[in-house]
Amino acid sequence: MIDLSILLQIVWTGLSASSYAVLFAVAFSLVLKVVKVWNFAQAGLMALSFYAMYALHALLGLPLLASVGLGVLITIAASVFMDRFGLQTLRNRLSPNLTFFIFTLVVSEFLAYLLAMIFGTEPVALTQSIMSGVNIINGIVISNWDIQALCITAVLLALLYLFIAKTRDGQFMAAVADNPELARFYGISVKRAYLVTFVISAILVTTGMYLFGTRASVIPNTPLQMMLFAVIATLLGDMGHIFGAALAAIALSLIQGLSIFVIPSQWQGLILYVFLFVTILFFPQGVNFKKFKQLTRTPKTA
Amino acid sequence: MEYLVSLAVLIGIYVILSSSFNLIIGFGGLISIAHPIFFALGAYTTGLLAIHCGIHPLLAVLAGGTVAFFASMMLSLPSLRISGDYLLITSIGFQLGLLEVIKHLSFTGGASGLGNIPNVVDGSSRSTVFAVVSCVVASAVVLIIRWLLTGPYGRVISAMRDDELAFSALGRNAMMIKLALFAIGSGFAGIAGGIYAYYYQYISPDQFEILQSAMLLTMVVVGGMGSHLGPVVGAVLLLLLPQAISFMNLPPSVMAPLQGVIFTTLVIIFLFWRPQGLIAPAQRQAQRKP
Repeated sequence: MIDLSILLQIVWTGLSASSYAVLFAVAFSLVLKVVKVWNFAQAGLMALSFYAMYALHALLGLPLLASVGLGVLITIAASVFMDRFGLQTLRNRLSPNLTFFIFTLVVSEFLAYLLAMIFGTEPVALTQSIMSGVNIINGIVISNWDIQALCITAVLLALLYLFIAKTRDGQFMAAVADNPELARFYGISVKRAYLVTFVISAILVTTGMYLFGTRASVIPNTPLQMMLFAVIATLLGDMGHIFGAALAAIALSLIQGLSIFVIPSQWQGLILYVFLFVTILFFPQGVNFKKFKQLTRTPKTA
Repeated sequence: MEYLVSLAVLIGIYVILSSSFNLIIGFGGLISIAHPIFFALGAYTTGLLAIHCGIHPLLAVLAGGTVAFFASMMLSLPSLRISGDYLLITSIGFQLGLLEVIKHLSFTGGASGLGNIPNVVDGSSRSTVFAVVSCVVASAVVLIIRWLLTGPYGRVISAMRDDELAFSALGRNAMMIKLALFAIGSGFAGIAGGIYAYYYQYISPDQFEILQSAMLLTMVVVGGMGSHLGPVVGAVLLLLLPQAISFMNLPPSVMAPLQGVIFTTLVIIFLFWRPQGLIAPAQRQAQRKP
């Protein structure tokens, strides 16, 4: 018989752990939806944002908040640079999908190698201690980090929803995502839409790495595994439906946590790969989250 | 001298790997990066058969190739029937997932690796024998792939890669061609794994991670994707290049990432300034002629 408090504890821990996974999944899904690129460079950008914050805070002694702010700027600069001088060149040449894939993957690995050369491969965290204060509510341990992570994620998702639904840039992004040629015909700057997409993606990625880096240690290759999670969530959450990817990331995190009841802990890592195959085989176009259509629907006015 | 002979063994193995990878990605147009896992399956099959069954090395290496050949279908059958992009994503998951399994199984040696693979060549000429074997097998693989692609079957492959819709409209089965290409390429990688296991007598999951995929991709892109000799040139060049850096006497913690930085920089440079690689595919060369 499963103890209810243990069950609730696992659900809570899974939910809080899904916070950064949601941000990575939404960032990946957003670029896929608007720019139409499987952005595997996201793993490298995740590593870059983490080590930028680490260098500024842990090595140079800047306050954490300032380090996060500068980390965001560095990641935005790297993302925009990659889009303008890399992806844009490939788009102009009408390069095949394979070239885009090789480019994004290689950028990711280049950054991982470069960071390993500079910072080494010893695991490091953003703060000296990754322990956080805890509160016990009805027998469930709720850490301050959990509350902070869930609040930050919820606020960012709400802001993203408002941005897409209410601002002109957001609506232009939606128009470009639907049909870039038609959007261009109506005078919308596709390049600007791509730029805004990468800026938002960089903000989400850096915030996700801040949350992860204050809870666990990182090596330059850690983000690759985390990005695979984002890819699976994107596939599961109805490809290109940004908030579907977020829901899928939460579901995946909970399933991974709850799997402890049925399989030994050392095999938990495999669940992700099983999901990947099941998704590809049975849900190649993703799971249709009808209940959340309001969130995923594209704004009609552009 | 021993050092140069060991390098020749490695060059032979990587020529097999890069040429077979080029068959899949360059000629077949199948976007997969899981080639190292078939290399691993070949190495582990050969290693386990050598340790537990003591069968003839030739049979063990062939068994490694056969396991890789059939295992490739576990990846290609579900993902190829949907679309090309899915193969890429599933290939990453397949590679990392199988490595995760290998890391947790006791009979494969787990994360610490599989050691005590029996030595099949004794004496001072051991490396020379392996160098000859690996280079002969590499030449055979390059020639087989060339023979496969220059005949009628090669024209079928080119037609499928250039316009799959038109190819299917002519009543041809593109899926079967893709499956066959993927299986043949993976089978060759399994054979390379067998030679690798016998030569080094120790294998571990870390040797077959995504970084290995990056290295093979670099060899193919720099050498010339879709050309017969490109991957051979790419493999030789990228195995010789790190030797030049080794004279800089840098610490190992810097050396390995530096090699990675050089590899990835080369790929980026080639993608933008010479996308056809060092040796352009024959078709493109022909197109350039007036």
